[in-house]
Amino acid sequence: MPNKLIDLINISKSYGTQTVLDELNLYIRENEFLTLLGPSGCGKTTTLRIIGGFESPDCGQVIFDGQDITKLPPNKRQLNTVFQKYALFTHMTIAENIAFGLKIKKKSKKYIEDKIKYALKLVNLDGFENRMADSLSGGQQQRIAIARAIVNEPKVLLLDEPLGALDLKLRQDMQYELIRLKNELGITFIYVTHDQEEALTMSDTIVVMNQGYIQQIGTPEDIYNEPENAFVADFIGESNILSGIMIQDKLVNILGVPFPCVDTGFGTNKPVDVVIRPEDIDLVKPEEGTIQGVVTHLIFKGVHYEMEVLAHNHEWLVHSTDMFPVGTKVGIHVDPFDIQIMNKPLSEDEEAVNVEE
Amino acid sequence: MIKKHAQRIYLALIFILLYAPILTLIALSFNSSKTRAKWGGFTLDWYVSLFQNEDIMNALYTTLIIALLSAVISTILGTMAALGMQGMKKKYRAIFASISNIPMLNAEIVTGISLMLLFITLHMTLGFKTILLSHITFNVPYVILSVTPKLKQTSKSTYEAALDLGASPTYAFFKVTLPDIMPGVLSGFMMAFTMSLDDFIITHFTKGPGIDTLSTKIYTEVRKGIKPEMYALSTLLFVTVLLLLILINTSPQKDELPAKKKTKKRRVGAFLLRRALPAAIVLLFIGGGFYYGSQNASNSEKKVVVYNWGEYLDPEVLTLFEEETGIQVVYEEFETNEIMYPKVQSGAVTYDVVCPSDYMIQRMIENNLLAEIDFDNIPNVKNIGERYFEKSKEFDPENKYSIPYCWGTVGILYNKTMVDEPIDSWSVLWDPKYKDNILMQDSVRDAFGITLKYLGYSLNSTDLDELTEAKNKLIDQKPLVQAYVIDQVRDKMIGNEAAIGVIYSGEAIYTQKENPDLEYVIPKEGSNIWIDSWVIPANAEHKENAEAFINFLCREDIALMNFEYITYSTPNDAARELIEDESIKDSKIAFPDDEDLENCETFHYLGDEADEIYNDLWNKVKSY
Repeated sequence: MPNKLIDLINISKSYGTQTVLDELNLYIRENEFLTLLGPSGCGKTTTLRIIGGFESPDCGQVIFDGQDITKLPPNKRQLNTVFQKYALFTHMTIAENIAFGLKIKKKSKKYIEDKIKYALKLVNLDGFENRMADSLSGGQQQRIAIARAIVNEPKVLLLDEPLGALDLKLRQDMQYELIRLKNELGITFIYVTHDQEEALTMSDTIVVMNQGYIQQIGTPEDIYNEPENAFVADFIGESNILSGIMIQDKLVNILGVPFPCVDTGFGTNKPVDVVIRPEDIDLVKPEEGTIQGVVTHLIFKGVHYEMEVLAHNHEWLVHSTDMFPVGTKVGIHVDPFDIQIMNKPLSEDEEAVNVEE
Repeated sequence: MIKKHAQRIYLALIFILLYAPILTLIALSFNSSKTRAKWGGFTLDWYVSLFQNEDIMNALYTTLIIALLSAVISTILGTMAALGMQGMKKKYRAIFASISNIPMLNAEIVTGISLMLLFITLHMTLGFKTILLSHITFNVPYVILSVTPKLKQTSKSTYEAALDLGASPTYAFFKVTLPDIMPGVLSGFMMAFTMSLDDFIITHFTKGPGIDTLSTKIYTEVRKGIKPEMYALSTLLFVTVLLLLILINTSPQKDELPAKKKTKKRRVGAFLLRRALPAAIVLLFIGGGFYYGSQNASNSEKKVVVYNWGEYLDPEVLTLFEEETGIQVVYEEFETNEIMYPKVQSGAVTYDVVCPSDYMIQRMIENNLLAEIDFDNIPNVKNIGERYFEKSKEFDPENKYSIPYCWGTVGILYNKTMVDEPIDSWSVLWDPKYKDNILMQDSVRDAFGITLKYLGYSLNSTDLDELTEAKNKLIDQKPLVQAYVIDQVRDKMIGNEAAIGVIYSGEAIYTQKENPDLEYVIPKEGSNIWIDSWVIPANAEHKENAEAFINFLCREDIALMNFEYITYSTPNDAARELIEDESIKDSKIAFPDDEDLENCETFHYLGDEADEIYNDLWNKVKSY
């Protein structure tokens, strides 16, 4: 594993009486594409701004490459930021925008010119040198903002919801663009978003945050397939979250019916949360299902049909390429390894599981 | 159709209403005839003579310097304030925003007076500095108002982006934030400049002697009767402000232009039009200001600060005085004794020589505001008639503080064709024969003074019974009176609109010239004699120069010049001898005999309590 590049130790931050971050611990490795994911107000942007130096934590330390940079102002940090609303300098040309940081570093004219050319090529905007910043489209402006950041050869690029203002198609294109850039530059990206799809598509590591606490850290697959709590499960993709009782290892009682599963170590007769992804539910003939129900809603979604099945007084969300008309009696079958068992949180605080490794 | 026409007519009407006065003014500024009534052909003469008028050019210079300095300073202060407020928490920001807005809503006169009081309290000398400070004060909110919205539009992230790219906070501010808010800063500057250029009221209260901005200059000029140069000046002022306003209102629009293909070249064009052009105008003005300023700059330490009534001295006399003595005269005018008094009392301006009226001199002596005059320095005092010093004893018992300058009486002016009996008593004012043919003075002391005299009392009576009697007498008179007036007595009597009017002797001479049927008389019961005299305030800084100035005014030839300019009676007997026009020299109006003056009294300062009683009774008369 590559070295830790950034280490956040016991970071707390509050505005007035509102606590935004509470003893947050997190490290970022070299060359990692790490995404901070969570709903608005979860503290992800504050975390990024603390790394960037735009906010200072109430307590805790920011270690960068072995150095404590907690008190270092943003202009002295070896990282660059791409802001949510691009933050281009509208009174300057594109070239002047890109050259801004290099001029401060007193680079030679030749060097700056080469860098501008290189950066524009990298973001596929060759020949835009003399345009004014506000004459570009949103996507183009965002790419200039990235170009302006990367010419400074930062060790880390911070991206604060950079695609938030773009339309869907452009956003998807830019996702690939960012992955390509990251691979070409070989630097660390720290990316903030509330869009789970964006996070799943691009990241090496996802940090799911809520109310100032880290909920789970893991690869996109880990996060999606094995959410550690109901919040993560709910936030990442769609899911059926049910209350259940762990009868014994590998057997869970859901809505009064025992389901075989693969989880162990929860004890016996213990209340748990059960997550079942809608695409993991197989609709079969009534007699073949573990439990039986009736289709109540049907929507065509393109790739699949989305159905709701009323069974044992619970609306089950089902994604399937097979279509069952409303009113059809069906059986519900779930493979044991598609059932995800989680501890019930005892209090709201415990919803934030301790994720230190 | 009809609706559309109606709309157009309505719009046209509104614009006519709005702009008719200004267009009239502009038209008149090109009128070669001096009177407003007729068009004498197109001319630019008034503009030429305007630019040859040193006083006005000096005022222009002062105005521009103050406008520019106050605009620059308030732009800096206001921008900093707006930045500071932007960085505050929302709650505090709202509070500060409202606080900074209040001065704009405040009545200007309140701001003006309170600034004056503040300067006086701080013992600051009213002058250029205080005008500048006041202008900065009232300009700052306008700058804040125009910068704040721009700051709100500008996202904080451009500043952060600059820091992120390695810029120091200062570099980031000047390279990124400032250019972003520049349109707001510029329009704030323009606004401040325009407001300062326009301001009259606040300047009026905070200015000191010898300094005038265009607006205060126009005001004093207008009081003397409007000269066509003023039309030209007002036209120029209007056009300048219009130009600035157009510039202010077009600058911010550039952000809303379609953003496509904006090249650097176009930016240069826009820059020239919106920034360089106004800057050039400003530079032109300043250059011109300095030019005239340098022409008139005087670094003489020998000076005398004179505070006199408006139109109460031949300007030529000042020039002669400066030429002969080398003492520079700083000249300021007041409108009433009551405006003059607090200014002298406060010491905010140290005047060297002032010309108050009798009762005010009494009050100033009582409050130790006056210095004893060294009569050895004023040999020309021998020209002043002894009887005037005798009369002065009523308010200056030992003749130590004042030297009479102008004087006059209050009497009856009557039209010989409308009155067939000789008049010698106030009683005609109560004669039903002249119902609706009587003009009374609309001023409390004059009305009561006449009535008290008629009843055989002193016109300085504070006896409540006597005053009540006078009040009832005045109420009796009311049905007979055609009108209570002040200045219109002159015009109405000349125009044969009334038979009898109460008038000041100074006005009487003029009216008699215009209408020989008019006769002036000082009633036998006696009347008011008023004397305006030169005094030297106790805090005068150039007392010897002040005495030299008074001595100069007492010289017979100079007194004659002033008499001919002012036309009020002069106490200078030697000057009277020099009057060539026999009819004036021997005029009973200008120079009544001693026996006519025997029963005449000067007004005394009666104190606040008595003032209140007088006003109260006068109100009862007026509202009866």
